[in-house]
Amino acid sequence: MRDAATERVEEVFYAALEVKASEERVAFLDHACTGDARLRSAVEAMLASQADVEKFFRQGSPALASAREISQAIAGTPGLRAGVDSRLSAEEEIGKHIGPYKLLQKIGEGGCGSVYMAEQEMPVRRRVALKVIKLGMDTKSVIARFEAERQALALMDHPNIARVLDAGATVTGRPFFVMELVHGVKITTYCDENCLDARQRLDLFIQVCHAIQHAHQKGVIHRDIKPSNILVTMHDGVPVPKVIDFGIAKAIEGKLTDQTLFTACDQFVGTPAYMSPEQAERSGLDADTRSDIYSLGVLLYELLTGKTPFDQQELLQSGLDEMRRTLREREPHRPSTKLDEFRVEELTQTAIHRHVEPRRLKLLLSGDLDWIVMKALEKDRNRRYQTAIGLGVDVQRYLNNDPVVARPPSRLYRFQKLVRRNKGVFVAVGAVSAALIAGLGASSWLFVQEREARREQARLREEAEHARSSETQLRQEAEARAKIAQAAVFLSRGKPEEADQLVEKIQIPVTEPSLEAAGVFRNLGEWNVAQGRWKPAADRLLKLIQANQVDKSDMTDVATRDLIRVGPALVAAGDTTHYRQFVQETTARFAGTRNPVAAEHVIKASVICPLDQARIQALEPLAGVMEQSIAGATSTSSEYTYMIAWRALALSLFEYRRGDFTNAVAWGQRSLGYSDQRPTCVAMSHLVLAMAFCQLHQPAAARSELAQGRELVEAKYPAGLKKIPDLGGEESGFWHDWVMARLLLREATAGIESAAGGHEP
Amino acid sequence: MSDITLIMQALGRGESRASEELLPLVYDELRRLAEARMARESAGHTLQPTALVHEAWLRLVSNGDRTWKNRAYFFASAAEAMRRILVEHARRKSRLKYGGGQERLNIEDLELADATSDEKLLLVNDALEQLEVEHPERARIVVLKYFGGLTNKEVAETLGIGERSVDRHWVCAKTWLFHKVCGQM
Repeated sequence: MRDAATERVEEVFYAALEVKASEERVAFLDHACTGDARLRSAVEAMLASQADVEKFFRQGSPALASAREISQAIAGTPGLRAGVDSRLSAEEEIGKHIGPYKLLQKIGEGGCGSVYMAEQEMPVRRRVALKVIKLGMDTKSVIARFEAERQALALMDHPNIARVLDAGATVTGRPFFVMELVHGVKITTYCDENCLDARQRLDLFIQVCHAIQHAHQKGVIHRDIKPSNILVTMHDGVPVPKVIDFGIAKAIEGKLTDQTLFTACDQFVGTPAYMSPEQAERSGLDADTRSDIYSLGVLLYELLTGKTPFDQQELLQSGLDEMRRTLREREPHRPSTKLDEFRVEELTQTAIHRHVEPRRLKLLLSGDLDWIVMKALEKDRNRRYQTAIGLGVDVQRYLNNDPVVARPPSRLYRFQKLVRRNKGVFVAVGAVSAALIAGLGASSWLFVQEREARREQARLREEAEHARSSETQLRQEAEARAKIAQAAVFLSRGKPEEADQLVEKIQIPVTEPSLEAAGVFRNLGEWNVAQGRWKPAADRLLKLIQANQVDKSDMTDVATRDLIRVGPALVAAGDTTHYRQFVQETTARFAGTRNPVAAEHVIKASVICPLDQARIQALEPLAGVMEQSIAGATSTSSEYTYMIAWRALALSLFEYRRGDFTNAVAWGQRSLGYSDQRPTCVAMSHLVLAMAFCQLHQPAAARSELAQGRELVEAKYPAGLKKIPDLGGEESGFWHDWVMARLLLREATAGIESAAGGHEP
Repeated sequence: MSDITLIMQALGRGESRASEELLPLVYDELRRLAEARMARESAGHTLQPTALVHEAWLRLVSNGDRTWKNRAYFFASAAEAMRRILVEHARRKSRLKYGGGQERLNIEDLELADATSDEKLLLVNDALEQLEVEHPERARIVVLKYFGGLTNKEVAETLGIGERSVDRHWVCAKTWLFHKVCGQM
């Protein structure tokens, strides 16, 4: 990259070239590079290579090419001719036909194409907009990509979306698109010309959000949202925004042949000022619905302040790498602070266009509107609004004076971002101290680092390859997100049935953990439990586990709390395959926890059914954590005794599964010995004791324990009860603990009956 | 010549689109010129691309406007056309030589001293693509001089900068490109 040091090197180098005599040159360098050895060696390296440079460029220069070579070269470059033959005027004259479309009038000229008003004659006579892409692109693949998207595009039917009707190739092979004709002006122009105030602008914006949401639900990502793609038309005196160009960015994306480098058109499709960081990245493959959310954020920014977060010209002039860096790393000013950059007359003009006094404008933007915009513009798409409707609803909340979802970032969050932005530094500092402490040599550390880097690169390549082939998956994920968001709305309106029908259609695993998604699945899992629908309940709760992994390194009881919901539900649903898988994953993930409550959750969730030796071994360390915590618990301990009782019960059942029945009895009796236990804990303790006594051939004790356990369980859930209308609570016992007790009752009864059958025929 | 007159007028109004449309015209003209030369000149006769470009220019604008601004657009288009033509040509030849669809030359596969002018051209072009990212103005100068065969004076007039800074940029760019090609930077 260019910097002051490079400039200085070149300055000295160029000056030194002028000094021909060698002693004089040395003297000059002595003087110019005093005290700067690096400067000197850089300049000397450049000077030393001059003879070679001159030779290289003299010999290899095309300036010496012969006429024969040049004409051969020209004669053999047919691709160029076909590609850049862009004498548009010759071909697309008004009145001529392109396919079934008759060109009537040129209505626009963009960076990459021209737009005409045209008349379609067959099968219906109607006016359409026809956009001809003028670059030398690979027409076949543009049209192939359009065809792939066509079905999805056809599904879109929304008053704020201009439909894309057709695509094809002109006689000379340039791709064209046919769209519903919209008589309108750019949304920003419309707002400024009519001096719309903030509320009116936000109203229009919300409509745009609805349109984009509709498209996302149909699986279509726009990829090029910007003011010139949102036209405002008047409908009975009411302004209606219409989003145009759906599917076009996708069709012509990325795959520009190198012929387009030739043209003045931007090097890649899309408009940098509106482009999300992930779209600007080199691969450019990774756009999803949240890239559109980012662009919506830029649009909102511009509607409010009149400017985009980053200046389009500056971005283009800074060069590609710098532009990517800006989009990826630089925090834009908040809308309200952006105004501070404005000149006085600029501010006045901006304010007049928004029908507000200049000094009120800043006040208007600061606070909620700032945070809404900034949330949409998050670099990390997981932190943005996850859906267009989410953004629209938040704007509506602002208009209704309700509290908005977007909030200023907390200090912890900002620190995390700092770490993320300077990952190299933090990792290096951390690693260096680790190396010092461990006494590792720096070289071995570097070796490991390098190997890691290579692995990382391989992984990234793989990911990129994967992304290329995963358009369908992206679409499914987007659908899943949208369904979850809608389900959350249904739930908040007290309509679990509708919500459940929505999420039922989600066929893929939840790949993007979020608290919102976890909330939805927990809620719906329990709703299904209450209906006695165990299979769907198990499905929702499994998705809850997937949605819960927001922080995969979290090993506290916060992360394990939902496990004890899932285990019993899976077993009750009779889904042993998924239960076994669940136990496997759970034990693997939480094997290292030192948190006794987490350990108790993991063990309890894992030992509902008999389990294999490997699982038992995996759980042993967790049992150790619990034993230690019980041993360390004294009267001065802040932990409640009922919590210790739970741990003793978990150990009792664990010992039983391990086959150590004596220990199982010891722990079970200990559990019953604590005061203040939950009824569920008491019931389960009796049942484990019953099973253990049975194994120890003490049938009388076993039957007595079984009877006590049964009485408690059936008092809560009578035998044969299918639905579980009462989901219980902390004091009366949670449904999942009662369900687990019920499962143990079933197992204990069967065991004792068969033992009785064996001994007393 | 009506096309070119219209384009020239558009250029005069500062419409950048016009320079894009100029490119195929330049290309056609270069092609015609080269063919004509081939027909009447013996093999081995060397022709500076500068001469080709100049001649193309004179023909194109013989009844048009001749301000420097237009000339600048023209030279930029012409040099870019030359670059394109020569790079395509060199690629095709090196592909034949190495067999199969090799797109980029690998520096390890050839000794720089033994490299043909085609191979060098491709190496320079690759390095130039990097320069275009890091220092676009300097890259423009390289295109005009290296591919367009313009003199320092012409480049200075085309880009509206001093001759001395053209020279400085050219010298620095050459050194940078050389080091890049040799893999030393």
